[in-house]
Amino acid sequence: MSDPREAARDASLSALGTRPPFYRDATVVRWIAQVGTLILVLAAMWFLATEAGDSLRARGANIDFDFISDYIGIQVGSGIDTNPDSGGRALWVGMVNTIRMAAAGIALASVIGVLVGLARLSSNWPLRRLAGVYVEALRNIPLLVQILVYAAVLATLPNVSFGMGPISGWIHVSNKGLSIPRVFVADGFYQWAVIMLIGAVVARITYRRLAEQREQTGAQTNAGAWATGIVAVFAIVGWWVHPIFGWLGSPLGSLADGVGAIPQGVVQLIAALAALAVAVWWIRRFLAQHRTPAGLTRLTDDDWFRMIFAVVAAAIVVLFVTVLWPGLSSWVVNSSSDGLGVLADKFGNGRTGPPIDAMRPDIVQPGNFANYGPAGLNLSIGFAAVYFGVVFYTAAFIAEIVRGGILAVPKGQSEAAQAVGLRRSTALRRVILPQALRVILPPVGNQYLNLTKNTSLAIAVGYSDLVQIGQTVYNQTGKTLQVMAVWMLFYLACSLTISAVVNFFNIRMRIVER
Amino acid sequence: MSTQPAHGDATIAVSDELAARDDMIVCREVDKWFGDFQALSGISATIKEQEIVVVLGPSGSGKSTWIRCINRLEAHQSGQIIVDGIELTNDLRNIEKIRSEVGMVFQQFNLFPHLTVLDNITLAPIWVRKKSRPEAEELAESLLERVGIPEQAQKFPGQLSGGQQQRVAIARALAMEPRVMLFDEPTSALDPEMIKEVLDVMEELARSGMTMMVVTHEMGFAREVADRIIFMEEGEIVEVGTPHHFFTEPAEERTKLFLSQVL
Amino acid sequence: MTDPMLPPASTAMGAEPVIPAASPPDRPSLPPGRWIRENLFPNTRNSILTIFAILIALFAYRGLLNFMFSEERSWIAVRTNLRLMFTQAYPEHQYIRVWVTVGTIMVLAGVSAGIWARWGGVTVKRLMGWLMSGGVLTAAGVLVREPSVLTDAAGESVRDDAGELVRESFAAAMADRWVWWAIAIALLALGLVLWTSLDDLRRRTIEIPVAWLIFGLPALLVASTWVVRYGHYGFTEGEFIAEPGQLVAMTTRVPWTFMWLILVASFALGRAARDRAIASAQAAEETPNGGPSDEGADDDAVPELPRGALARTRTSVNLLWVLSPFFLYWVVMRDPEIDYAHVFSTMLPMGLAFGAAGAAVLWLLTRSDAGEVGRLAAIGLLLLAAFHWVAAYFGWYSMLQVARIAFLLLAVAGLLAPNFAGVAAQRRRLVGAWLFMVLIAFYGATVINSPSTVETPTDMFIGGFSVTLLVSVLTIMLSFPIGVLLALARTSRQPIFRVLSTIYIEVIRGVPLITLLLFFSGVLPLFLPDGMELAELAAAILGYTLFSAAYLAENVRGGLQSIRRGQYEAADAVGLTTTQRTGFIVLPQSLRVSIPPLVGQVIATFKETSLLAIIGLFDFLRMANSVIPNQSQFLGVRRENLLFVSVVYWVVAFAMSKYSQRLEQRVGLGQR
Ligand SMILES: Nc1ncnc2c1ncn2[C@@H]1O[C@H](COP(=O)(O)OP(=O)(O)O)[C@@H](O)[C@H]1O
Ligand SMILES: [Mg+2]
Repeated sequence: MSDPREAARDASLSALGTRPPFYRDATVVRWIAQVGTLILVLAAMWFLATEAGDSLRARGANIDFDFISDYIGIQVGSGIDTNPDSGGRALWVGMVNTIRMAAAGIALASVIGVLVGLARLSSNWPLRRLAGVYVEALRNIPLLVQILVYAAVLATLPNVSFGMGPISGWIHVSNKGLSIPRVFVADGFYQWAVIMLIGAVVARITYRRLAEQREQTGAQTNAGAWATGIVAVFAIVGWWVHPIFGWLGSPLGSLADGVGAIPQGVVQLIAALAALAVAVWWIRRFLAQHRTPAGLTRLTDDDWFRMIFAVVAAAIVVLFVTVLWPGLSSWVVNSSSDGLGVLADKFGNGRTGPPIDAMRPDIVQPGNFANYGPAGLNLSIGFAAVYFGVVFYTAAFIAEIVRGGILAVPKGQSEAAQAVGLRRSTALRRVILPQALRVILPPVGNQYLNLTKNTSLAIAVGYSDLVQIGQTVYNQTGKTLQVMAVWMLFYLACSLTISAVVNFFNIRMRIVER
Repeated sequence: MSTQPAHGDATIAVSDELAARDDMIVCREVDKWFGDFQALSGISATIKEQEIVVVLGPSGSGKSTWIRCINRLEAHQSGQIIVDGIELTNDLRNIEKIRSEVGMVFQQFNLFPHLTVLDNITLAPIWVRKKSRPEAEELAESLLERVGIPEQAQKFPGQLSGGQQQRVAIARALAMEPRVMLFDEPTSALDPEMIKEVLDVMEELARSGMTMMVVTHEMGFAREVADRIIFMEEGEIVEVGTPHHFFTEPAEERTKLFLSQVL
Repeated sequence: MTDPMLPPASTAMGAEPVIPAASPPDRPSLPPGRWIRENLFPNTRNSILTIFAILIALFAYRGLLNFMFSEERSWIAVRTNLRLMFTQAYPEHQYIRVWVTVGTIMVLAGVSAGIWARWGGVTVKRLMGWLMSGGVLTAAGVLVREPSVLTDAAGESVRDDAGELVRESFAAAMADRWVWWAIAIALLALGLVLWTSLDDLRRRTIEIPVAWLIFGLPALLVASTWVVRYGHYGFTEGEFIAEPGQLVAMTTRVPWTFMWLILVASFALGRAARDRAIASAQAAEETPNGGPSDEGADDDAVPELPRGALARTRTSVNLLWVLSPFFLYWVVMRDPEIDYAHVFSTMLPMGLAFGAAGAAVLWLLTRSDAGEVGRLAAIGLLLLAAFHWVAAYFGWYSMLQVARIAFLLLAVAGLLAPNFAGVAAQRRRLVGAWLFMVLIAFYGATVINSPSTVETPTDMFIGGFSVTLLVSVLTIMLSFPIGVLLALARTSRQPIFRVLSTIYIEVIRGVPLITLLLFFSGVLPLFLPDGMELAELAAAILGYTLFSAAYLAENVRGGLQSIRRGQYEAADAVGLTTTQRTGFIVLPQSLRVSIPPLVGQVIATFKETSLLAIIGLFDFLRMANSVIPNQSQFLGVRRENLLFVSVVYWVVAFAMSKYSQRLEQRVGLGQR
């Protein structure tokens, strides 16, 4: 009985059923560490934010978003509007340019990437090597260097002159870039868009009906054709009748006024209630998961901490919107009112023109040198350099992903396809690719994201994407932080959109698989 | 010797000699939920020092869950588990103690693939028991001797057969000099010819006086080695008894059904 | 790296797909004619594809050659500014420091290669293939390149009436290029001679050690600088040097010859150490204690370094690699003028005090009975350390920065103390580590705070490729621990850690790098309190580090997810603490799985440093892309520089990616 183990044993036996002190309780210690870290992070952010606020105030700059609606007098090199009437408009031009570049880039990069990826697996030796050289050369040189090389090479194209080609009056190529016919959103577009929306709803309902009918009767109902046809009819008829929706302007305008008139307190209340509602919903769901059939809910300490933390987090949010940053709610109110106002302006009885219009490019000579006129869609050398840069660079990565995905399909699959007599190309299209796609899609989605983010390198060659315009805007107005917030939100939104689309297809493919 | 009623406390000793020994593992009304699924309900049992208990039961009956609760790989939600006088609670100190009192052997061996056999065994003695390296290596070598593979010390787990890996796993657990050993289906992932080498090691261990709790489907082992057999189903203890009683005159219908299927 | 059992490599996000290394079937090689027929023109479809591919290749090749050999090119500009592009305006008389830096790297690289590299050999067949394709490429180049422009007596290009350049005839061009023809024919002939003089089996089995090629080719290059008159060009302190037909400058020839010697010598050193280790391990194996090793006949020509052999040497080489960037940056590049009065009056006593007091505290904290009291004390230390920083922020009281850092280090060591508690040996290890950290911290602080004696014409004392390299290396080294911590937090079971880390990673990965860099170079000063400044380069490195950490975290997470639950449970069951479990079981396994994506991330970081050019730092790209003052004759010479820069970037990145592929294959081989 002199064994120390025995002594310890007797000591702990006497402590049976009691709670350990908090500093020895695993759950409590873990939560202290977590909450401590959280407080540390929040405090650091708080310190930095107040410091930034002080510095800005010392420089006479306020954290407001007025520049979005104020005239700031900047010129944009290219885009839907080269003389934007406000900072917000300028940033919008940049966003459109970025989206345009990203969308066009994704399309071309996918095509080139898949082709090169397939070529890398070709049985033909020169083709395989050529594709290999392409991939190894492009993905090992920094994208920025490539963009600068393209820009430098394109700068050696001839100057602008009248009657230049390749197809004068339609396509012009020079060291000022490319000029092609411009298709643009005109007067009646938003009214027409409403009609298209209605058309889409009608088409969807029809499609559902017909599809159901086919399932029940087995008759061929051509649901897809009908739906397309309906949308087409709405589009064509709407082209002329869209002014009938001109009246939408005034209700939207009054809605804007109404939103603008909402008192700040109400918004704060709504936000606070929303935060609380989320917390309550989360806790209810949590409890429901822990309800045993006997109706008895067993919760560990950890569970209790989680629920308490949810409540505390909600309380902090409430405190934040009501006390710490009351300006937020009025800002939300004002900007949504402004947004609705802008939308209201897009409607009106005066707007009777076609929804979409087009113009051919022209060449003008204001001074000594000829230049592209404003009529055409002018894509600068900068655009071309960035575009080729991101497309060729991303395509190299996509090619590697495609190659890996195809190699990941078990060899037995292609053998089986050959065994049932499919030709090589059919086997690839019908058997290999559908399976490879599941491996390929997620990393390719990542590449699409990278491409979108990489378009921001346009700043190096002076193409007016969001980052470049944003930099001009904050150099002009000093609203650096605000512009950076806009950047962040925009790129995060792009990331989320692309992830959502990729996920959608991923899930669909999984369902198809079953 | 007496048969026990199926319900109530399964701790009532099977023999007077056993009853006189100290308690090693005490479970009182242990409940365990996974979300809204109850994996253990009202488990009560006492395992005595140097006792060999075999737990039987159909798949999904909660055997692994119970055994994992005993060294706190899972936390039970209500009831008490007391191992060698230490109650399993959230107390960091107790968890530390329990882990070095209780050795565990897994169905899938779970050896550390990036360490040699020797390092697998000496890691915990050095870093938890705070032994010096030569001391730990000496212990490891004697343990490898004991489980019959002294020559494999420098190899990696991936280079060993399943039976050898499981014996290394036993040596690794023994290196902590535990008071109790838990085995969760130690032979289920093995080819038949390797099962015996592992069972031999376990038998030797049992003879040396180790307290053991073994989940297994090896009925031969249960019959030969066990002091007691606990039969579980759907998270409850259905029947407890000596091997003789259990295999010849089980009291419960469910036990009979189970035995008719496995024997 | 060659553990026999590794968890399957995960196809983690961003990871390049693992492609099984197919070993070529061992069949006799075909004669060139048949090879061409079977591989290039086996049937109509393939013939068309072949011709199509060859046409595209020739077209691209022709464009490149025409660009490079065009009369308008001014490659002299690249040669003149070579030094500028690598070290910017580093003062001439201090250049020895640059060479010391390069030499240090050579020593480390040589020793590491000697110890670790398992270069096999190149078969004669492959060598022959290289020679022949070199010959074919050269010949093709001579044929497709456009004829040169005619020049008149004054050296001006001749233009016709329409102003177009007049080129010589095709026949004349072919005749002019006799040197190239000679090279092409020589290469082809050498290949053919090799082909005919050996039979097929020998062609495939005789191997030339790769080491010969790796050291031999640079040797040829270095030796040739002593003989061949490459010409001597330079631009130092505003002066042009242009001496065509001269030998390369002494200041280039001599150091590079030295560098080569150093490299070879340290390689030999490393190899010798390694051979000794292998020999002694084999001797030990032959002693009849173990059973027959069933590894089988390893047909790999190069023996593998036995596990655990040279452990100390390997650890020290690794440590030197990790420390060398800081050492080279501070001491060699800055040459601090240390104020010894300050060192003896302040730094030394303070360092000793910290060392001694910290050691005593840690010795107490690692007592086996310290228990929770020890933990609470460590947390108290952490709070104290954190408070010093808060106080510094608000300026409540002053304290030397190095003291604050030392407090923080002590708190971290204190938190780790329970893992080392109990045994004297482990306690001593912790205390030793603490003393080492104190030494580094105080030494570093002294060096940083001392003024530099290197006087440079511009305020940036280095630029060009050295900045590129510096930023890449520091970014990778600093972001690695942050990335690992983020990955651990993101896979943690603690909800707040997980959410915080996820938000950080996703936000950083969602925005383009350039916006982050603009933030750190432009906006960060706003966030800092008065009197606190951050050098431009430091701000950039901070931006890169935080960016890269998010991506690294995702790569590491891929590895973490490949660890099976059983590993965690086994570690728990034997009683390891969470820290021990992470350090001994989880990270070693998961990092090994993540090696390929991690190397990918290293390459990406290296390429991304080119963005420094946008935020106005003189990195490699910016140096090449900008007009250098006083160089009016090179105005508009940008494409040459850009091509040169691309080639340098390409060589480095390609070498790294090849290396990672080899690693990947070896990891794969280990799997069996
Ligand atoms: N981590 C877990 N989460 C949810 N359910 C679990 C978990 N572990 C086990 N279970 C469930 O608990 C029951 C008992 O499992 P287990 O103890 O593994 O059974 P046995 O070992 O007897 O086959 C099973 O129904 C199983 O599905
Ligand atoms: Mg089980």
